[in-house]
Amino acid sequence: MFSLQEQYNNYKNSESGIRVYTLGKFEMIINGIALSDKDWGRDKTLQLIQFFITNRHQFGLHKEIIIDRIWDVDDIDQGGRDFKVALHGIRKVMEPNRKSRTEASYISRQGSTYKLETENIWIDADALDFYVKLGNQALTSKKGLAIEIFNEVISLYHGIYLPNRMYEDWSAAERERLQIQALNAYMVLAELIVDDNPRECIRLAQSALMIDNTWEEAYRFQMQAYLQIGNRPQAIKVYKKCVEVLDREYGIDPLPETKRIMEVILGK
Amino acid sequence: MKTDQTSSFVIRFTQKLFDDTEGNANIQWRGKISHVQGGDQTSFSEFEDAIEFMQSKLSEMTVASVESAPDKTKEEKEGLISKSFDIWKKVSKSAPKLMLDVLKDPKGQVTQIQEQISHVGDEISQKIEIDDWRMASKSDFKTMMSTISQMAKEISSLNKKVDKLSKKK
Repeated sequence: MFSLQEQYNNYKNSESGIRVYTLGKFEMIINGIALSDKDWGRDKTLQLIQFFITNRHQFGLHKEIIIDRIWDVDDIDQGGRDFKVALHGIRKVMEPNRKSRTEASYISRQGSTYKLETENIWIDADALDFYVKLGNQALTSKKGLAIEIFNEVISLYHGIYLPNRMYEDWSAAERERLQIQALNAYMVLAELIVDDNPRECIRLAQSALMIDNTWEEAYRFQMQAYLQIGNRPQAIKVYKKCVEVLDREYGIDPLPETKRIMEVILGK
Repeated sequence: MKTDQTSSFVIRFTQKLFDDTEGNANIQWRGKISHVQGGDQTSFSEFEDAIEFMQSKLSEMTVASVESAPDKTKEEKEGLISKSFDIWKKVSKSAPKLMLDVLKDPKGQVTQIQEQISHVGDEISQKIEIDDWRMASKSDFKTMMSTISQMAKEISSLNKKVDKLSKKK
């Protein structure tokens, strides 16, 4: 049984021949070489691999479903041909030296269902999930380690999931899920460091508000941190901004918890 | 005119539990809804605002596709738009209640749907575990359609037999 520290070190130092970045941009690196969009040939080939990555946790995807979601064609035969071309494109890029009629390592097939085999692929979204899980476990007993791990989480989040597919509905759920993970990670880390490093806490809260400007908890951490460093005017400014944003977006007041911090700031 | 068009929405609800100034436990829902294909989003604290947002996006879609249909007369176009609004009226009446019911008691809603399925007949009364749910493929739809049509025929034949038996009595 590995300790949390060992699990963290092992994961961080693990090496994969293929690394995939999906947060803020899409990039695949194979044996240290970054592929360009040109390497994928057609955009549908790129879209297909991104679809497989998005659905990596499913047991398998039926060919017809894939065709329906990506090609949106009524002609099943035409869709089948397009799918075959794109799949061939993926295999050519990911396994250029694979001999014909041998099993593909990364996209497996069972009957009419296909799946991306991720055992030997490092994906930033999976790394983010792993670190969040490990960080949560470290929260109660290993504060220093938890801080280190949550820093790792936010360093992975460079932006929304697959930004070039933001208008495709098949990527929306994963984008939303990862954004919430990132927002929560910012808040957990802000809470962990607010007393020891208020300036960094302010930066984290501001980063969270850049993702969602209605995230009230982030205003609270900023107010607490400004109070900590003795900058009351700025703390009051943050509260006013919070009031303005919540009123504009929801037509509501801040929570009593936020108002209480304001009272402390005002010395009431 | 393109016959199939999709509009997807992502709705984020944030639940806030807090004690109000009198110390009473309180709950507040805050939401954000995004239109995936268009990229627009809006915040809401009343679910009706989310419905209104969806309605405006869907109306835009209907109007755009109907307006660009070269083979339809003005009356046909107006008829299509009117039908679309009628459908929407029904959705907007039932959707908020369904959403609220699911929010209040998601398990209960799933159970209720499962009970409704079990009433249809033994053939499809097996409860579906949530983990087994998956997107249906076109061939799944075909199979379902043919099963439903077969069931309809059997029901109709059973009805005739029952009628005959009733007459004999």
